[in-house]
Amino acid sequence: MAEIVDTGGGGKGDGKVRAKKMSTRVDMTPMVDLGFLLITFFMLATTMTKPTSMTLNVPDKQDKKEEQQTEPLKASKVLTIFMGRNNDIYYLDGVAADDDNAETALKKASYGTEIRDVIFKSKTRINSQNPKDEAGNDPFVVVLKPTPVSTYKNMVDVLDEMAITKTKRYALVDELTDAEKSLLGDRIKPQPEQ
Amino acid sequence: MAKVRPKKHPPVTDMTAMTDVAFLLLTFFIMTATFKSNEAVEIATPTSISGIKVPDENIMIISIDNSGKVFFGVDAQATRVGMLENIAETKGVAFSDAEKAKFSQFASFGFPVAQLKPWLALSVEQMKSVKQPGIPVDSTGVSELADWVYAARKANPQLRLALKGDNAAKFPVFKDVLTNLQSQNINKFNLITGSEQPPSGWTPDEQQQ
Repeated sequence: MAEIVDTGGGGKGDGKVRAKKMSTRVDMTPMVDLGFLLITFFMLATTMTKPTSMTLNVPDKQDKKEEQQTEPLKASKVLTIFMGRNNDIYYLDGVAADDDNAETALKKASYGTEIRDVIFKSKTRINSQNPKDEAGNDPFVVVLKPTPVSTYKNMVDVLDEMAITKTKRYALVDELTDAEKSLLGDRIKPQPEQ
Repeated sequence: MAKVRPKKHPPVTDMTAMTDVAFLLLTFFIMTATFKSNEAVEIATPTSISGIKVPDENIMIISIDNSGKVFFGVDAQATRVGMLENIAETKGVAFSDAEKAKFSQFASFGFPVAQLKPWLALSVEQMKSVKQPGIPVDSTGVSELADWVYAARKANPQLRLALKGDNAAKFPVFKDVLTNLQSQNINKFNLITGSEQPPSGWTPDEQQQ
């Protein structure tokens, strides 16, 4: 640290009144205090995690001209996922909702690893049993059906599972058919007020 | 004989180095700080593994809060004024310059056009504390939200749209918002989410890169 050597000035006893030599050291403590106070403020005020965005493309509703006739999806190639209330998922793996054994085929899962396993299993099974279509796409299709009692988080979570399982063909369908409504029954009704 | 004593000094710590470090960090935090703006509601977004960043500018955000109210906001202040002027024109309501200036201070709002003028008559402090009823959204696709989106895009055609929903928002509200936007021929949406670590072993596709 810089310091000025006190040489004592000129000779002694010349009778001049001298000002007392002051130290050139500056006390830095208040400055450090202030510095850290400001650091604390800015650290707390900053939002470090930047939000990310996921894209969702929906088919054009107004443009009716390009509607093509495609063959209906076979239920055996489809995994249907219903988002119910209380963060429950119900799914039909390769079974249509109006099928006779749909009631027993309807299973319940939770978000996270459980539904991920279901998707992976269903994907492997359907892709191994069915050939690829002309365009070279996998036959596996997921139909996502958010029910009126599900939340926005449920939808984002399931869309995220699609990204995680790398399912290319999925459809977000917000209408339930009558067969599905009767199959799900009470599970998609709002919970009675306690 | 007197002992030779060393001159007594109070214990002094050299603070210079500490100051250096403190101000270096301070500079860093000042540079990187992005402040929370005047949002109408707090929204807890769901998380996703998506790695796409939300653009910083030219963005309009439609927020859905946990009770299903819809809020709308545009990032740039100039666009907010332009948007308000466009709405005023189509709805036949006139806003004074002072009202426009107040309106531009808020990052998002949730009022039907009819209730906007009484709200803007309040002082800025009062405006913050007022409970906002949300923008009317209709399942038919023709509602004030669609009008606001149209007005905003007229004010700045480069605006991109982002949707920010709360964890607890019910799906039907989201569906209504979607219907409204589709009636404006907007079919590509950005859903704002928090970031989340992908499960181990997961690698992004080449297409997404």
